[in-house]
Amino acid sequence: MTDREPPPTPHAIAPFAVRYRAALADPNVRDGLLDFQRSWKATRDEQIASVEAITGRSFDALRGELAEIKDGVLADLDGHLARFRARAEAAGTIVVEVATAADANAYIADLCRQRGITLAVKGKSMVSEEIGLNAALEAAGIEAVETDLGEWILQLAGEHPSHLVMPAIHKRRGQVAELLTRVVGRHFDPDDIPAMVRSVRTELRERFLTAGLGLTGANALVAETGTVMLVTNEGNGRMSSSLPAVHVVTVGAEKTVPTLADAIRQVRLLARSATGQRITTYTTFISGPTPGHELHIVVIDNGRRAIARESAVESALRCIRCGACANVCPAYQVVGGHAFGHVYTGPIGLVTTAYHHGLEAAAGPQSLCVSCGACATVCPVDIPLPAQILDVRRQIAVRGGGLAWAKRAALRAFASRRLVDIAALAAAIVTWPVQSGVFTRIPRRLAPRHLGWRTPPRVSWRPAHARPALHAAQPPIAVTGATGRRVALFLQCVADRLAPEIPIAAARLLRAAGAEVVVPEGQHCCGLPAFDAGERDGARRMARATIAALDGHDDVVTPAPSCVVAMLHEYETLFADEPEWRDRAAQLRGRVHDLVGYLSTTARLPRGALAQAVAGGGGAEARVTVHRFCQGSNLLGAGDRLERLITDLCAIELAPLAETEVCCGFGGSTSLTAPEVSHGILTRKLDNVVASGARVLVTDNPGCVLHLRGGVDASGLRVRVVHVAEFLAARIPIG
Amino acid sequence: MPTIVEAFRARAEEARSVVHELATWSGVATLALVLADADGRIALSPSLARAQPVLSERLGARVLLPDPGDPARSVADAAVGIVRGELAVAETGSVLLVEPELADRVVSMLSLTLIQVVARERLVENLDAVATTLAAGGPPAYASLTTGPSRTADIERSLTIGVQGPSEVHVVLLG
Repeated sequence: MTDREPPPTPHAIAPFAVRYRAALADPNVRDGLLDFQRSWKATRDEQIASVEAITGRSFDALRGELAEIKDGVLADLDGHLARFRARAEAAGTIVVEVATAADANAYIADLCRQRGITLAVKGKSMVSEEIGLNAALEAAGIEAVETDLGEWILQLAGEHPSHLVMPAIHKRRGQVAELLTRVVGRHFDPDDIPAMVRSVRTELRERFLTAGLGLTGANALVAETGTVMLVTNEGNGRMSSSLPAVHVVTVGAEKTVPTLADAIRQVRLLARSATGQRITTYTTFISGPTPGHELHIVVIDNGRRAIARESAVESALRCIRCGACANVCPAYQVVGGHAFGHVYTGPIGLVTTAYHHGLEAAAGPQSLCVSCGACATVCPVDIPLPAQILDVRRQIAVRGGGLAWAKRAALRAFASRRLVDIAALAAAIVTWPVQSGVFTRIPRRLAPRHLGWRTPPRVSWRPAHARPALHAAQPPIAVTGATGRRVALFLQCVADRLAPEIPIAAARLLRAAGAEVVVPEGQHCCGLPAFDAGERDGARRMARATIAALDGHDDVVTPAPSCVVAMLHEYETLFADEPEWRDRAAQLRGRVHDLVGYLSTTARLPRGALAQAVAGGGGAEARVTVHRFCQGSNLLGAGDRLERLITDLCAIELAPLAETEVCCGFGGSTSLTAPEVSHGILTRKLDNVVASGARVLVTDNPGCVLHLRGGVDASGLRVRVVHVAEFLAARIPIG
Repeated sequence: MPTIVEAFRARAEEARSVVHELATWSGVATLALVLADADGRIALSPSLARAQPVLSERLGARVLLPDPGDPARSVADAAVGIVRGELAVAETGSVLLVEPELADRVVSMLSLTLIQVVARERLVENLDAVATTLAAGGPPAYASLTTGPSRTADIERSLTIGVQGPSEVHVVLLG
C-alpha cells in the first residue's frame, strides 16, 4: 500500500485491547448508542425521503451523482487543487500543500510564533484530530481551545472524539454534568441540558474575543471560486473564522469539488446523512481573508494519495465525513467509536486508518466488523465499505504480520472436506455425552465463562451429505417453473454438519416444487470464512473447488444466502487477476440462487400451497416473526421477499419485527474473535423478538439460525428458531 | 400545492425561525422594538444602517452600531440585531447572508435575537439558486446560508437551541 509507513498517531490513543475492554465495561456506551442509532435512523430516513421528493430522484441516483462528482475530482486531484489554489491566491488566501501531519503542524506552529499568537479558538475539525494539532500547538506553547460543544467537553475530559460528527455521543448527560461541575466550578443538573449548553457560550466568549488564531476544518474546497465551504450548527465556525485576525483551515486534499453547484449537491445529502437535518444552521462560504485579516489553507495529504493509488479502496476518498456508516453499524452500537476505529471511527475508519495512521493502528478493530453491509446502504457517496474493509484485512493478513498461527492453521484445515469430516466426527464423539436435541450442553463449570451466552449446536454424527433423507423421494405438490428442472443443491459446509435438517428440508421443498434435486460431489466450503479473514489464497482454493463442483448445472440452489453473497460478490474480487477463473465465476453468478429467491421465482408454488397446520412443532396459531439475513437485505437487495414468500405460501400473518434487517450478531468470525460484540448485537435482536410477541422466529441463513437458536436457549426464552426451509417443509401436505 | 411563501414558512418554522410578512422598513423597526426588552439595544449592520436610514430614525437612541475599533466586543450580546438577507430559500427555510465586512458579520453572529430581512421578490424555490447567486458576483468573500437559530445536539442528541450564535431568529419577507 503506502510507499512509506505513516508515522504513528501523534497523540496518545491507548492500544486496541485496552480501548475495547474499557468500552465493554461502560454500559453508558451501548445504552446511549442504541437510543442514538434508533432515533437517527428514523430522522435520516424521513429526510432522505424528503430529498427524494424535492428533487424527484432516488437516493441511489442522488448519491450516484455525488459519487461521480467526487470521482471526477479524484481522477485529477492535482489539477483541481491547482485551480483552487489559483483562485484562492487571487483573493489573497495563502494556500499551503503539505505531505505529512508533522509538516502541517509545523507550518501552523511557525505561523503562530511569527505572529506572536498564544491562544487559538478552534472549530470542529477531524483533520486536526488526524494530525494531532492540539498536542503539537501545546508543545509550541500555544493554547488551542475547542469551541464546538462536543469537542470542548472532550477536551475538558482529556478524550478524543468517538464519532465523526457527534464527538461526545458516547457520553451521557450525567457524565457531562459531572464533568462541567468539576471544571467550571458550579453545579450542573444532568436534566438541564440547556444550562450545560449555555455554559460553553459564557465560558468561551472571552476566548473568541481575544484569540489571535481561529482554526477550522472545511467540508469542501470549491475549485472554480477558491472557496472554503464550512458547515456548522452552533455558530462557532463562523466566529472562529471571523473574529481572530488569522484564520487557518486544515483540510484533506480530497475535499475538493469543481463548482459551487457541486458543493450545494453535497449540502443536500450531508446534513441529512450526518444529523438527520434538512440542512445545518450555518453553511458558510469563504473566499479570501476578511479585509485586514489573514487566511491560510493547509491542504494535507497524509496518506490520501496512497489511497488514490489503490483501486480497491480509492473511492474511500469520496467520504464527506457524515458518520452515517457508524450510525447503522451494529458493532459500533455495542462498543462505540473509541474501540471501533482509531482517530477516524466507524466503518470508514476501518479503511482509512490504515493509510493515515498505519496498518497496526487499523488492525485491532477489524474483527469487530460483522460484514453485515449496512454501512454501504446509507453512504451518501456510495463507498463500497464492506469490500474495502475486507481489502484492508487482506493487507493486514499479508503485510501486517499475518494472522495468528492458530487461525491460519484452522482456516487451512477447513479447506479440506475430508479433514473437516474427520474433525466433525471427532467432535461428535467427544461431545456425545453432552449432546441434547439440537444443542451441545457443556456443563457450566467447563464452559468458558465469556461463551456462556450462546449454547453451541450439536455436531452431527452424520452430515447431511451422508444421510438417506437428503435423497429421499418427495412427490411434487404442484406444477411450477421448476417442474422437470434439474437443481443442484449446494448444502453449505456449516449446515451440512451442524444443522443437517436445513439442507434436507430444502431438498424436500425443491422436490415438492417438481424439481429433480441432485447433490454434486466434491462440494465443500465456498471460501467465505477465509475471505473474511483476509486469507485470499485459501479463499481462492476453496472458490475454485466450488466452481468446479458446480460446473454443468444450470440451476444451483442453496439454503445459505451467505454463500450466494460470496459467489455473487467476492469471487469477482478474488479472481480479478485470473481471467479464466473470473469467467467461470461470472458464469456461476448467473446460475446460483438462494433458496428463498428460487422459491419466490422459478419454483413458485401456488398461493396457499403450504397452508396446512403443522402437527407438533409450534402449532399454526403460534405468532411467527421473521429476521431478514442482513447481507440478503444489504447486499442482495432481498427486501421483504422472505416475509412475502411465507405469508403467500402459508397464508399466515406475520408479527412485525423491529429492525428486522439489522444483523443478528453471528458475523462469521466475529462471534469467535469478539464474542462480546456478537453477544451485544444478539441481545438487541432478541429484545426486538421478545417485543414482537412471536413464539416462532424464522430466518433464511443457517449461520443466523444456529446463532439465534443458541442465544435463545442460553437466555431461557421460549422462542423456536427455524430456518425457512424447515418452516416451509414442515407444511408440505402428506400424500 | 402550497405557495412558495407557504413552503418557505413551513420549512423555516421547522428550523425554529419565526416568519413575518411586513410591508415597510418602518414595520421592521417596530418588530425590533417589540422583540427588545424595554432597554435592550438594537444592533444594525452598518451596510443596512447606511442603506435604510429610516431604521436609525425610528430606533433612535436604541441603535447600536459596531465600533470599527473592536466590532465584535461592541455588539456582543445585543438584545436584537437587524441584517439584510440576499435570498430566502423555500427548499430549506434558509436565508443567505452576504457579509464581506466583519462589521456586518458580527451583528448576525453575536446578537441574542436576530432579524433577517429579505425582499419578497428574493424568495427562491431551491438551493440551486444559491449556487447561482454566489457565483454571480465573483467568488463569495464571506457568505452564510443560515437556517434558524444556532443549535446543538452534542449531548445525547438532545436538540438545544442557542449556542454561540443567536438563540432566536426572525425572518421578515419585506414588501
